[in-house]
Order: sequence, then C-alpha cells, then structure tokens
Amino acid sequence: MSKRYRQWVKEYQDQAWTVARYILKDAQEAEDATQEAFVKLWNNRDSIDPEKIKPWLMKVTRNGCLDRLRRRRDNVEFDESYMSADVSGPMQGASASETNVWLKRAIGGLKEPYRSLVVLRDVNQHSYEEVAGMLELNLAQVKTYLHRARKQLREQLSEVRP
Amino acid sequence: MNEYDEKWEEQINALLDGELSAADADLLKAEATDDRDLARAIIEAYKLQKAMDEIRVERAPDSLRKRLRAIPRQQRPAPMFRILQPRWVMALAAIPLVLVSVSLMQPATPSAQEIAKARQDLAIAFAYLDKAGQITGREIESTVGNTMSDAIAGSVIRNIKSQNETSKEKEA
Repeated sequence: MSKRYRQWVKEYQDQAWTVARYILKDAQEAEDATQEAFVKLWNNRDSIDPEKIKPWLMKVTRNGCLDRLRRRRDNVEFDESYMSADVSGPMQGASASETNVWLKRAIGGLKEPYRSLVVLRDVNQHSYEEVAGMLELNLAQVKTYLHRARKQLREQLSEVRP
Repeated sequence: MNEYDEKWEEQINALLDGELSAADADLLKAEATDDRDLARAIIEAYKLQKAMDEIRVERAPDSLRKRLRAIPRQQRPAPMFRILQPRWVMALAAIPLVLVSVSLMQPATPSAQEIAKARQDLAIAFAYLDKAGQITGREIESTVGNTMSDAIAGSVIRNIKSQNETSKEKEA
C-alpha cells in the first residue's frame, strides 16, 4: 500500500465519513460513498496536488453523496436510527448529550448547501477558505450561507430550548 | 422570529468566529443593551456555539477503515493487464521498429566476394555469348555468305562487349 495513501486515510477518513454521514443519514450508504471517494483518490493520486488532497477529497465525498441523494430523491427523509432518542419538544434542562443529538438532527435537516457548510465549517472545523474551495463558492457566499444556516439552527434551538 | 436589525447578523457570526475587532465587539455589546432582540440573538448564538463545540468529527467505523485500507490491493490491475500498461505496450511495439531500422541501416554496397562472383558469372556469360555468336555467324554464313555473316554477328558481339566495358569503367 502506498505510504502516502495510508497517511491520507489516517488523516481524512473520519472527516470524509462525517460529511457522508450527515448528508446521507444512512450508515451503509455513507460507508459506500466514503469508500468511492477514496477509490477516486487512489486512482487519481498522481494527478492531485498534494497540498489540496483534503479539499479535493471532501469535495468528491460531498458530490458523491449529493449524487446518491439525487438518485434516492428523498433528501428530506431522515434516518431515525441515526438519532435514536426522541428529542422532539422543549429541551429545557436537557443534558448536553441530548442537545448534541438534537443538534445533529437539526443539522441533518438543513437543506444544501447549508448542511454541508455547517458540517465542513462547524463540525469538521475546516477554514472558510477551505470550505469555499470544497463547495466551489466564493468566500462571501460561504459566510452569507453559513450565517443563514446558523440562524436557522439558532432559531430552532431557541424553540426547543428556550 | 427575531426582529433585530439584520445588519447585526454578520457581526454576531464574526464575534463567534473570533474575527470581530475589539472596537466592533464593544459596539455590538453596547447596542445589545438597548436592543432586546439583538441581545437575545447573541445569547442564542452563544448557546448554539456551545452546543456545536460538543459535536465532534465522528470516528469512521472499523468496517469502513478496513475497506479503505483494502483499496490499493483491490485496485491493483491483474497480472495479465499489468503487462498491457502503456509503457509495456510501447516497449513491445518498439521491438519490430528497431529491427526494421537496423536492417535499413545495413550498407547497400556488395561485398568483395559478391563482386568477384558476379564478375566470374559475367565472364562465363560472355564465353557463352562468344560461342553463340560464332554459331550464329556460321549459320548466317551458310545461308547468306561470309561477308554478311561478319557484318551481323560481329556487330552484335561488338555492341555487347562495348556495353560491358562501359559498365566496368563506371564501376572503376
């Protein structure tokens, strides 16, 4: 196995998986999508700028997931098994883990590109510049869309946890 | 639904991202003391950020980790196809090309042995030609007389010999 590839797997497998998991909301499909992205990475390893492996991989992972969603045509349906607890309703006094589960669900309920923006920036902690490259948006668009996404989440959070 | 001025939205996010200057942060806080909606939006933003901090990148399941590690092995071409990789195809295609090139580069001039053999063959041919000329001359003589035979057979033989000498001069 290529040493470089092994290093990429070690560094980015969790981030790619997280992106796929949030977008697809189905563990098996997210595994398949992540694997497909890494197969593409392996097959194109000599033509990708080593400095841009991460944004390239995240972009390919996300695009693969969106293609799957288009095929599925149910991007509003949510996999309940991902968030096992029933967290609907007010969450006053809810524990951190309950809020965590609720928030994951809320992020999963956002529409694209808001969902990807929140996952890439707030969950995976990529920089604004990296996110712009991954989503093929300019920096101003990334900030504007992310503000809207966060505002939606804030408002939802204030409703369930006043 | 918050009714605070939308212009503050960008400032709130910049504040949370740590990108707001100290002066702008003070201005925002001062504004929030008089604007309940803005104050509420800032508090909600902080709550969201706190909740976001709890969310981590998820660990890929072991089954996926195994699948990712197996990719190089699975993507390796089969031995039969490995030989058909472009560099090998190019190398195979080059072999006949090299052979043809080498054969074309061989000197076109015949060897000394070939020249000697050719001269020997030519001498034999002329000997036969002389004999044929003599026989022809005798036949013509018996038919049309001695003078005519010399004129015809002699002229033919002289012509051939002359051509032979010319070619020898060219060779020299």
